[in-house]
Order: sequence, then structure tokens, then C-alpha cells
Amino acid sequence: MTCPVVGIIANPVSARDIRRVISHAGNLQITDRANILLRILAGLAATGISQVVMMPENAGIYGHLRRGLERAANTGEARFPALQLLDMAICGDASDSAAAARTMRKMNVGAIIVLGGDGTHRVVVSEAGNVPIAGVSTGTNNAFPEMREPTITGLAAGLAVTGAVPPGVAFVGNKRLDVAINDRHEIALVDIAIVRDRFVGSRAVWKADSFRELFVAFAEPGSIGLSSIVALVAPVNRSSPFGRRLIFDDPQDAQFRVAAPIAPGLIADIGIARIETLDFDTPTALTVGSGSIALDGEREITFSERDRISVTLREAAFRTIDVAACMSFAAGNGLFVESTKQALSHALGGQG
Amino acid sequence: MSKTPFPLEKDQLLDAYRTMRTIREFEERLHTDFARGDIPGFVHLYAGEEASATGIMMHLNDNDRIASTHRGHGHCIAKGVSVKEMMAEIYGKATGACRGKGGSMHIADLSKGMMGANGILGAGAPLACGAALAAQKLGHKGVGISFVGDGASNQGMFLESLNLAAVWNLPVIFVVENNGYAESTSVEWAVASDSYVDRATGFGMPGITVDGTDFFAVYEAAGEVIKRARDGGGPSLLECKMIRFFGHFEGDAQTYRGKGEVEDIRTNKDCIKLFQARIKEAGVVAQSEFDKIDREVLDLIEMAVVEAKAAPLPGPAELHTDVYVTY
Amino acid sequence: MARKISIRQAINEAIDQEMQRDPTVVVMGEDIVGGTGAPGEADAWGGVLGVTKGLYAKHGNRLMDTPLSESAYIGAAIGAATCGLRPIAELMFIDFMGVCLDEIFNQAAKFRYMFGGKAQTPIVIRAMCGAGFRAAAQHSQMLTPVFAHIPGLKVVCPSNAYDAKGLLIQSIRDNDPVIFLEHKNLYGHESEVPEESYAIPFAEANIVREGKHATIVTYGQTVHRSVEAANVLAREGVECDVIDLRTLSPIDMDTVLESVENTGRLVCVDEANPRCSIAADVSAVVAQEAFDALKAPIRMVTAPHTPVPFSPALEDLYVPSVDAITGAVRRIMGGERKAA
Repeated sequence: MTCPVVGIIANPVSARDIRRVISHAGNLQITDRANILLRILAGLAATGISQVVMMPENAGIYGHLRRGLERAANTGEARFPALQLLDMAICGDASDSAAAARTMRKMNVGAIIVLGGDGTHRVVVSEAGNVPIAGVSTGTNNAFPEMREPTITGLAAGLAVTGAVPPGVAFVGNKRLDVAINDRHEIALVDIAIVRDRFVGSRAVWKADSFRELFVAFAEPGSIGLSSIVALVAPVNRSSPFGRRLIFDDPQDAQFRVAAPIAPGLIADIGIARIETLDFDTPTALTVGSGSIALDGEREITFSERDRISVTLREAAFRTIDVAACMSFAAGNGLFVESTKQALSHALGGQG
Repeated sequence: MSKTPFPLEKDQLLDAYRTMRTIREFEERLHTDFARGDIPGFVHLYAGEEASATGIMMHLNDNDRIASTHRGHGHCIAKGVSVKEMMAEIYGKATGACRGKGGSMHIADLSKGMMGANGILGAGAPLACGAALAAQKLGHKGVGISFVGDGASNQGMFLESLNLAAVWNLPVIFVVENNGYAESTSVEWAVASDSYVDRATGFGMPGITVDGTDFFAVYEAAGEVIKRARDGGGPSLLECKMIRFFGHFEGDAQTYRGKGEVEDIRTNKDCIKLFQARIKEAGVVAQSEFDKIDREVLDLIEMAVVEAKAAPLPGPAELHTDVYVTY
Repeated sequence: MARKISIRQAINEAIDQEMQRDPTVVVMGEDIVGGTGAPGEADAWGGVLGVTKGLYAKHGNRLMDTPLSESAYIGAAIGAATCGLRPIAELMFIDFMGVCLDEIFNQAAKFRYMFGGKAQTPIVIRAMCGAGFRAAAQHSQMLTPVFAHIPGLKVVCPSNAYDAKGLLIQSIRDNDPVIFLEHKNLYGHESEVPEESYAIPFAEANIVREGKHATIVTYGQTVHRSVEAANVLAREGVECDVIDLRTLSPIDMDTVLESVENTGRLVCVDEANPRCSIAADVSAVVAQEAFDALKAPIRMVTAPHTPVPFSPALEDLYVPSVDAITGAVRRIMGGERKAA
């Protein structure tokens, strides 16, 4: 069997937007991103992955990485896989993530590890097809990727991709929101918001008086972002066989209000008119005629009365690596252990 | 909340268009007249970057101060400096904003809060800190804005200013107009860390990156950082990623740019066209309203050139005046 | 009857009185308060040599300690000066001008001219100058010629407490950028200083001593050495005019020329290095304007063309000495027409 290749996409444009100012979102410096990638690479190498391909960028992430890899090679440590940059043009924006994911899918990589927030993950999933994703959270809204130590993500991804953990345990199917704007199709992994603004501008949505509708694939009470509005009222978890649709009310007059953490450090007063269940495969039209569509917290598309829009929730539309399950399986099956039966039994004091 | 589906009312949107169109036509006219040999010295044109100056300056009043770069015509116009006085100054005439003694690179109008275009890159950063300090001490809610380019962001003066602003919590905004080129040197070579945002964070203030060709992105982001500064929230950095149509200076053949690069951006990344399309599509402004403004702007520029050419040069006595207030 | 205070106290008083009179006067610099952010006492230093001590207690946060960041804070002071404040920014040693020179000579000095008379930059940059303190090469220079050369700047260098107070008050009230140089060796020098506020106009040299045989022109520390030299010479029957220039830009050449018309003999004493010094400047103007009055070549007594040495034995040879000054006067009294 040919050695499985893992892809990594770390787009430096994430975590650089207006949410650093209107909320208290963090900033992840280039050197920190490189360090996170080195941790992932260490995890991958430890589980037998020897080939990694990566999206190129001009921010300096690769430069820092290369220094780390050279240092390891010079000291004789074989701790990292061979790393290759994809041969592609660099635009310096989110389209680089899409192009890289497309290429990695064609290359048939075993998985794509994504370093970013909801927006970056969304772009990758939209091009990755059936290639499973492992998310590492670094952006702003992190409702989708887990907050987890990247070394562990690397280990789990390696276990999953090499088959050390069976696919039924390693991979899980995820809901996805699909939106059709005439003939154009876009997706969201967590939420789709319809807002009054007719411009993309700084992208981030945070002004409650512009909110009109919200669709969520899931809404977990422990999460930040627009989905928290639903999560604190009518939560839906990632495995539930439905989503939710919410119609907003003017927060000034609304009888039903919720205080929700819609961005890091920002708890907003939100008015709610009604909440409905969103079933799978049921296309839903919008209640408003014009405005913008925000996908996973960022305005992306403006629309007018002349456009036909519908939102549909899909079941098991893309795969992610279940890091916790992989590590549990590994522990339960001694995947990281090298020992004779006797030594193992002796060490565990007969509790083996 | 505004009556239009934009953060501005219709008349404000038209003002924004007028400002951007004025800057564009001013610069295009200079490009033509410079090539004919009419204009002495150096000019550095802002065409292509209008959304940045306009989106930011719309949040400012005469109490707020800006310190500009060598590429300062756009900042001057957006801050309200007289177009006719600017043209006369570029021609070195006595009726110019600086009586002909500053030229293109030193146009200033302190009454409008324009602390000057500056031939020394990065020099504006400490000056803008000073404006912010004065606003703090004098107790009015003014802010200072320092414009630098991607090249000047490497100057020690700029970096020192980031620290000073953070330590003293000054109401100053550092705007990095990143057009990808410092003279002929690409930003990819000259800037070790892609991100001015990282530098800002390193110095203790938040930073944002926006698409500088999108007026609304600049307007929104600038609005938030300026409000934050006015409310005592301190300094921040705003990076506007943009493009310039013309060379570093007029006469620069731009051989360092890719084939077809300039044509491509004029077609696809013209911030004024993008702005017009957005508000026309939303049905807020009709083409005829744009056309009317276009005619008025062209008339204004034409008058400015005619008057500048006809204006007198400064007399010999002017050589010795205004070195000091008193000597 | 005026009391006697030191230059240090005179400068402190000038700043205090102007801050009381004008709320737009602010002071900034490194350690000018001292102790900011530290757990000990506030106003811990009041300046590295204590010149601004006690002002923080009276005027609070109109005095600001700055980070070690000259180009930023000198630049900010200059920017603020164009926006309604009257800053007194301290550049601790004039030798540090290198890190903020652009702000001073390309920005502050040129705003008024470049902007067609529409700007004014009422900033005072106070800095220590001069040798003899054993502070070595990078903390001991007399850089008056560098600044006097730049149109748009004014340069002041008092030699005594009376002049220091009056000239500093004038500098603060002046609407142009002023480089105010304080000789680090003279801070303790005392003279009679009125308690009330007073201003000494620029371009008014002071005739410290009168005599009809030779003119000695100087400023700063070497004023006192020149007076000593004149006293020695007086015992030999040579009486000297000693002229303290007080301000190097604008400079009072009228007083110098009048004196030379009278004496016909000129010695220029300057603690700056010889090339392009104030001494060279004054000498050339006198040679041009009063050639016929001269009875002997003009002599310049300056520091050597070297950095300031550290070792006291060497530094004592660096600053123009009383002997060097008397020697120069004797030579021109001797009617020499050629260099020895």
C-alpha cells in the first residue's frame, strides 16, 4: 500500500479581521502558527506519516517551518515527515485555501488538517469532497473546529489515515448547510445568517439590528458565535438529525430576548421572533427579499429581490476525524505501547 | 441605522463617490500633464487607492489630524484641502496651498487638520502621535491618523511610534496602505512578517487587515477603530491591502510589475467602479447621478489647472520669508 | 536685591513659571520625572541631573516620562507643537541627536517654510552639551554648529544662571523651534537671578567685560575661561572685550563687529570642533565685513579635530584652556601676520 499523504492548509489571512477591534478576538502570530504546524507534524511523524503536502503562502509560515525542520535534520532527529509545498499561484486570500483543498482532493490525500476558524474550515470543506478534515482552531469564531492541542490532532490524524484506527471509529459524518443563490451553490458548516446590509465590507457580522434570519446546522451551548443564539435557547448537537431556523426580532421591541456571546468577549442583546426545526433535505426560502448572506459568521454574498435563494440542511455531508475517539481507541488497544505481555502485565500490577 | 442598506445615507454615499472621483480625476490629470512636461519636480500619484483615503476620512472632522506620505494628494483631497490650492501648489505658484514653497510632497493645510504630505517616509508616525497627545492634553476628542506605506512600515520611527502610542494610550490610528511595492521593491522581499497586524499585536495594540479596494470594508473598519480611539480605547493599526495604478513616481515605467498586471487591476480591481456597482445594484443611486458628479468634478479639475497655470509665480522676496515666525 | 541661584535652579524656575503662566506648556523626556511605573517614590530623579526635580509635584501629568524612543517622542512633541501645545522636550544629551535628527531638521525646522507660513512649531528642545564632565566621546560634544547651520532652527547656549532663566523663558514663549543647550559642567554655577519672570531677547550678545585692545567672542563654558584669560592679560596691560554670544542662531554680529571696529583684533573661542565651527563662522563674517578694521589675523581657539577623550588628562587638553586663550591674544597683540 502506498504511503498515505496528509495535507495541511494554514491560511495566514484568518484571524486578521475587524473582530480584533469590535470584540476581543485574539491574534495568532505567524510564528505561533508555524509552531502549531510543527506540533502537528511531530504527531503525524510519530504515527508513521512520512509525506505531507502544504498550501503555500507569502506570510512567512513556511519560512519558519523550514527552519524548524532543518534544525531537526541537522541534529539527527527524524521527528518530522517530508514536507512539500503545492505548486500553485498565491492570491493572498481565502481562495488559496479553496485551490489547495481542490488540489489535495485530486491528489487523494488521506486527510486535510486545517488551521483556522470557521471561515477557513468552510472553504476547505467546500472543495475537499470526501476527504476527511481535522480542524485546529486558531481563528475567531471557533464554533466548528475543536479547541485541542495540535500535537494530539496530528497523532489522531495519523492513526486515522494509516488505518491504525478503523474508519468506523476514526471518521464521523457531519451536517452541512447548503445555500443556493440562483445557480450558485455555497455551504456553511455551522450557521448561515441573513442580514440587512447590501455589502460584504469587513465581512464580520455583529450588529444585532441588522440580523434578519439564522440557520444553524448545530448549536452547542459551549460554543461562541452566532450559533450561540440558538444554543442558549434550543440547543442542537452535532449528532442530532435536524438543525434550527431562527427569525430575528428588533432587539429594542422584542418580547423574547437572549444575551448571547456572538463573538469573543462580545455578549449581544438579541431579539427573537420565532425558532423552527430545520429538517434534512427540505429547501427553505428566506423571509426577506434583499440583503447579504453570511456564511459561518462572515458576509459573503449580497442578494436582491431578483435572486432565488434557498437553504437546505444535509446529513453526513462531509467527514471529520474524531480525535477523541481515535485516542481512546489507541489507549484501549495499546497502539502507542511496545511491550512484551509479561512486562505489560507486571507494570500494570496484574490489572492489564 | 441608515435608511439605505449601507452604513451611509444616500447623500453620504454620493459624497464618498464625489471624493473618490475627484481624487481619481486629479491624479489622472496630473499624469497626463506631467508627461507633457508642464509640472516641475516629482509627483507620486494615488490613483487606484481612493477607497482608503475616502473610507477613513469620512469619519474625521477638522479637529482630527492626519499625517500623510509622499503620496499625499488623495489624503489631502479627502481631508478637505482645496483642489485649486493643491493644483496651484503642484505648479509652484504663489496661490498654492503652501504659497508654492512646498510642492507636491509637502502640501499641508493645518486648518483642515492636514499636517502635511511628507518626503521622509515614516516621519508622519511620530507627528500623528503628537497630534493625538495634544488632543488628549487639550481635552477635545480629536484623533491622529498616521498613513504609511508597506515600505515605510519598516522605518524605526514608525515602530517607535507604535510603542509610544501604546504606552501612552494615544488616540492615534496607524494606517498601513499596503500596495505591495515600496518604490520597486516588492513587499514580499522587504517585509519579514507579512502581517502588520502581528507587528501591532507585538507592540500592544489590535490590528485589522481589510481589502483596501472595498470602500465599505475600509469605512466599516475605520469607523470602529476611530470610535474606539475617541472613546479612550487607545491606538490601533489598520492595514488596507490595495493597489496603485501608476508608478512610484511619475516617470517610473513600472517594469518591476507583471505583464498585464496594471490593465488587470484597472479592469477588475478599480475601487470606484466596484463602489458604483454596489450602490447602483442596490437601487440607491442611478447612473445619471454619477454622471452629474463626474461632469462637475471634471469641470473643477479643469478650472484648477487653468487657474494654476495662470497664477503668478512667487516673487524673489518670497525666498526669504517664513523661515521663522520672528528672527 | 536678587538672590544667587545656580543654572540648575534657574532652569527649573523658568520652566515652573512658564508652566504656571501658560497651560499649554508641557514637558517630556527620559527620566524628567523619574520613577514612573516604579514602586519607589514619584519624581524620583527629576531629570538625570535633577534639573526638573519638584516640577511633577506642582504640575502633575503635564510632565511625562517617555520610553527610550527619541524619534518617537521628539517627533510627537513636534507634532503636538503644531497642534496647540507648547512642548519642552528634553533630549538628554545633544549627542543623541542622531536618532531623532530628521524630526528636528527636516520636519520642525521646515514646516513653516514648506507650508507657506501656515504652520508654527513652538517647541523647545532642551539638551545637555559640552565636555569636562569625564562623560567621554558620546556624551560630551558641543554640536552648536550643526544646528546653527539649519535654517528654521534657533540655537541658544547660556553661560550663567541669569541668562539661562531669561533665555529659557524667551525660548518657551518663542514660536519657532529652539534648541536650548545647557552645559553639563555649569549646572552648579551661581549668579544673581531675579525672582520674577523675565525674558532675554535672542540675538543680543552680552559684553561681559570691556577692553580696547582685543575682542574675545565666545559662548557657554568658555565664557568663564575667557574672562579669566582677560584678567591674566589685564595684568600685562592688555584689555579685552569679552563677548558672550548667548544665542548662536540668530546671532548678534552687530555687537561683534562694533567691538572689532574698536579693537581691530579678534579671537574666537569655541568648544566645538574646528571645522565649520561657530568660531569659523564668526571669523569669516568679520573678515568680510570688517577687514579694514583688522590689525592682525583673526585667531580661532577651538577643541581639536578629535572626539572627546575620556581620560581626565586628555579631556583637560580638549576644552580650550585659559592658557590657550591668553596665548592666542598675545600672538595677535604681537602683530604677527603669518601663522607661526
